[in-house]
Amino acid sequence: MLIYLRAGGYLRDLLKPDIDYYSKKIEVSKGLAVREIIDAIGIQSELIAFVSTHGNIKRLDYVPGDGEEITLHPPVSGG
Amino acid sequence: MANGLAGITLRINLTDNKIHRLPTDERLMREWYGGRGIVAKMIYDEVPRDADPLGEQNVLVVSAGILSGCFIPGGSKVEFGSVSPLTNLPGDSNMGGHFGPAIKFAGYDLLMIGGISKKPVYLYIDNDVVEIRDASKYWGMGSLDTESQLKQEVGEDFEVVTIGPAAENGILFSCISHDYGRQAGRTGQGAVMGSKRLKAIVVRGNRSIHVHDLPSLSKHVMGIIDRTKKHPNMIPWQKYGTSFFMKWSNDNGVMPTHNFQTTYYEDIDKVDGEQLVEKCLVNHKACFGCWMNCGKYSKVSIPGKPVVFVEGPEYETGALCGPNLGMKDITHVAYINWMCDNLGMDTMSAGGVIGFAMECFEKGLITESDLEGHSLKWGSLDDIEHFLNMVVNKRGMGAWFALGTKRAAEMIKGGAEKFAMQVKGQEMSGYDGRWAPGMALSYMTADIGAHHNRSWTITTDMAEGRESVEGRAKIIIYLQHIRPLFDVFCICRLFWGELDVTFEEMIEALNDVTGWDVTPEEALKTSERIWNLNRCHFLERNRKNGRDFDYPPARTWEDKIPTGPGKGKGVTYAMIERMLDDYYAGRGWDKQGNPTREILEDLGLGFAVQRLDDIGLLGKPIPGGIPSVRGEKYNPKAF
Repeated sequence: MLIYLRAGGYLRDLLKPDIDYYSKKIEVSKGLAVREIIDAIGIQSELIAFVSTHGNIKRLDYVPGDGEEITLHPPVSGG
Repeated sequence: MANGLAGITLRINLTDNKIHRLPTDERLMREWYGGRGIVAKMIYDEVPRDADPLGEQNVLVVSAGILSGCFIPGGSKVEFGSVSPLTNLPGDSNMGGHFGPAIKFAGYDLLMIGGISKKPVYLYIDNDVVEIRDASKYWGMGSLDTESQLKQEVGEDFEVVTIGPAAENGILFSCISHDYGRQAGRTGQGAVMGSKRLKAIVVRGNRSIHVHDLPSLSKHVMGIIDRTKKHPNMIPWQKYGTSFFMKWSNDNGVMPTHNFQTTYYEDIDKVDGEQLVEKCLVNHKACFGCWMNCGKYSKVSIPGKPVVFVEGPEYETGALCGPNLGMKDITHVAYINWMCDNLGMDTMSAGGVIGFAMECFEKGLITESDLEGHSLKWGSLDDIEHFLNMVVNKRGMGAWFALGTKRAAEMIKGGAEKFAMQVKGQEMSGYDGRWAPGMALSYMTADIGAHHNRSWTITTDMAEGRESVEGRAKIIIYLQHIRPLFDVFCICRLFWGELDVTFEEMIEALNDVTGWDVTPEEALKTSERIWNLNRCHFLERNRKNGRDFDYPPARTWEDKIPTGPGKGKGVTYAMIERMLDDYYAGRGWDKQGNPTREILEDLGLGFAVQRLDDIGLLGKPIPGGIPSVRGEKYNPKAF
């Protein structure tokens, strides 16, 4: 299935968007958690604080559905 | 008047109640940019090296900042500085809200407040009208309560900063408060204000600030606004604030837990950002010129306690007053936040002090007889409330803890110094550095004592290897130059640093406002100059090699992390020594951590050379000379 990952900042540099400035389309197997997807594309999952979808926060154990857009969020660099 | 400046510096002497209006020194502003820069320079020039930080000769400098109040997103900050009573170093702290722009709109760039008033007073500023007014009826009142009462007296359209009983009583980690939840928290600036019997400053202004090129500024700023509104990080900021990152810190083994005894908290789900949103959040708050509204306003209802409202807890308060104290209920953490806010204490240092005291109690170094018959157990809100009451009133052993963990540990003895989690007298931030060596070095070398905001390196440590120190020093030096520039320009790092606004865009906005021709290279060098000026000032005050002050508490290298994902990990003493050696070499300082003639002259600080030489603390020449480039830019975290 296809999902869309979206990120800004240094995560964007690691993601290498191919659709627009922030977004990348990737083909993944069903049932994979975000952490597994991110690790598989070579991004250290520790660099991501949480993800969001439809404006709602999810943790890295979230399993996205077909066609879903997942935004990757870095930690605040000092809160 | 130069663009971006309001035009007037106010000098107020509270000993003789004299107020002087002087033209703002444009040359100095060009050289030091304002904000943290001008604060560092003014303290260096005006406070005698043997001055008591709580005495008449200390000067509280308030800088509204060159970009504050201009058409700049996040242009809300105001910088406070003086010689810190907590650390005996040059100290500074900033806050958001609306106070900085209000000062500019009233016509002032700088307030220089010296002397000590004979009775409690507040400073009243309404455009041209500047008065020292009696504040006796407010003395003893909480910070939040004072703001509310003062606004009833002078008008709701005034912006107000206040101190609370903690500052009045000389608690060394007291803060300055504003807008019911914003604080200039670190380095005890509140205590300096309290030592002057200055209870509050109220400001109202309706003047314009002239900028150099409004069309260019508008174009650049609107471009930034359009872009950042669509930024992927915007929605979480707006909805959840910074407390949502607590779980990440915990999962990655950097959460200070039970006074930094370990770095993973089993009960994080009871006190994290999700709990805040579910149980406390009632509204969002924003500062002047910002739509991130990252401030989270909470209603706290606990049986047996008054219902209170507090802005927070944000990440730092959440971590240091949550897992660090063993709390198991977010409403209790929020209540501690409120207590600290109304008493006027820095929540970060307060969390560090309470956690330290709790560990002392756990180990039997202090007992119930030292605490007026009370215990001080992990997770007990009632115990904490009583303890804070002892501290703010300096009752019994409360007077020791009122001085901060470093001095309290020296008095308690019994090995307590090992776990007084501070550097140079200031308590650490909400990250444990044992499995993030760059963060440990950040605490060790921050110029105001342990603080994360000068350089934050957790993700750098993760990306580069959490058990390696290779290359850390150079990255930290770069971060220590670029991050404090937000405090120099008085703009918010959360907006400008977290939403992909580039450094070059920040300089472009500066030049649009001022008409200066600042380059990114010049800005970084100015920031480096400020850093070195503070180091010189610190050496002159403390009369010892810099290296003597740059070590963390022994827990950092003696205690491996006992639980959680970081179990068994930790930095070694050899790693600490190596990082300091690398850091000093990278800065052009000698092995004792003292700036050399060559680096000072390169930075335009030749006037400091003789002063250091006279006291035997001028750095010895470095074989091969100073590095031509100090600091190294690094991704993943450029800011």
